[in-house]
Amino acid sequence: MNVAPSRAGGGSRVSLGAVSCAFACAALVAALAAAGAMLGDAMPQVSSGGDVLSVAFGDAKRAISLSMVQKADSYFHGGIDMECHEAHGHHGEDEGGEGHGGEERREVSGDARGGFRDPWRWINSRIRAPEVHRHLQGAEAIHTIPWLWASVRADPHNVDAWTTAWFLARNSVKDADLAWRIIEEGKAKNPGSLEILFYEARHVYDSGMGDAARAEGLFRHIVETALARCGGDESALSEDDAWMLKYSRSYLEDIAKKRAAK
Amino acid sequence: MTVFFRQAKALVRLSFLELWRRNDVFGLLILALALMVPLSMATPFGATGASRYLDEVALLLLWGFSMFVSLGVGSRLFRPEFERRTIYPLLSKPISRGCLVLGKFLGAVCASWSALALFYAVFVGSVLLRGGSLSVELAQGVALHFAFVALAVSVSMLGSLAMTPSANLTVSSIALVGMFFFGRRLPEYAGTLSAPLAWLVRLVYAMGPHAEFFDMRQRLVHGWGAVEGRVLAAVLAYGIAYSAVCLMLSAAVLKRKRV
Repeated sequence: MNVAPSRAGGGSRVSLGAVSCAFACAALVAALAAAGAMLGDAMPQVSSGGDVLSVAFGDAKRAISLSMVQKADSYFHGGIDMECHEAHGHHGEDEGGEGHGGEERREVSGDARGGFRDPWRWINSRIRAPEVHRHLQGAEAIHTIPWLWASVRADPHNVDAWTTAWFLARNSVKDADLAWRIIEEGKAKNPGSLEILFYEARHVYDSGMGDAARAEGLFRHIVETALARCGGDESALSEDDAWMLKYSRSYLEDIAKKRAAK
Repeated sequence: MTVFFRQAKALVRLSFLELWRRNDVFGLLILALALMVPLSMATPFGATGASRYLDEVALLLLWGFSMFVSLGVGSRLFRPEFERRTIYPLLSKPISRGCLVLGKFLGAVCASWSALALFYAVFVGSVLLRGGSLSVELAQGVALHFAFVALAVSVSMLGSLAMTPSANLTVSSIALVGMFFFGRRLPEYAGTLSAPLAWLVRLVYAMGPHAEFFDMRQRLVHGWGAVEGRVLAAVLAYGIAYSAVCLMLSAAVLKRKRV
């Protein structure tokens, strides 16, 4: 960049203007970085993490992260956007929750008479709606993972994305190593999350790793941390933490019963 | 008839030269490769074997780029000719205004199709490289995409007779992109509005260019299978009819225009 004064003068003004602009941008970036470092978690609407992008685009990153989880959900349902699908009243057949698996034949909406009433809807329903509602199972479920990966890259504090990725890797893809990598990375990014800790404990306990003692230690740690957070008053716990406390106790009872049975 | 074909051939050749000399297509292709190559090398959480997201992103880029090319080509058909006054020597030739509109449309469509064919060749190449195979629904998707490009050119050409290139590009993009993403939801949206606005939205739904009919991306990505022949025929007929109406309106506007 040329900042030396020129004889014509015009070039010098342009250069000085560019330098001023660069300084202003640098000052803005520095201010954003400082604000991020100072505020930390003091601004819940801004995802913490300290980097400038988190401060400047906190809400946008969160929104992108949530939309990526929705995309993964759509992939899991074979390309159907379930939120949109249910909003249009097509939930009657799907109310089996996690239990409904495999494939279901589905009547495509819009019959012949509907075609005469609204031909555009008739075309749309046949172009954009699958005739079979299915869930991705086995190796096919791996196609959901990139969207969840993108989700946690956009917002590493989206705990739902970490746990969903873990669930799909373990239960659908059936790749325990992948599930373990996900939960470990999630734990590193969210050290205070009881939910991720709970899923780690479940992984250790359920996945046939044969480490009941370690799982018990983790469940016990969750119970102690949750009680410490609320000062013994469980009604003061957040909904998520209350669930984690309840399920951890349930697992601890299960471990104790199995130990007694031995 | 022979004269018309000779005239149309000349106009098609001119459109081809104009598009490929601008190097827009090569720029878009490089941009697509710059986005897709790093994306294809990503291993989310160290997992391998996920490829549907690549197809989805590639098809989205393909649609965006084809819309950019077709609207750009269509919007440059008439207004710049009027501004540069090159329309006068063209009209002094023994060619009717209707023939001029049809010839220019064919030229623009063929030029846009050539760009789209290049994009699809790269896409299909990448699918085959990743171990994928060709399918009936891919052929259907390509056919509908080509029909959409013709529709987009006709909409843009009609706009180029009534607006400046930038205004035309903006209005055509809003109409096509808006219908592409929200077209099928307009009836539900109209149901939530008060009477005059609801009628307006229903009018847009009835008359607007339904770009979403031609979008088979979800079918291709998730393997939903081919659409029924009668549905494919209905969408192609819709594309042809809509383009024909735009062409007739363009010819009528050009005939009434005082040059």
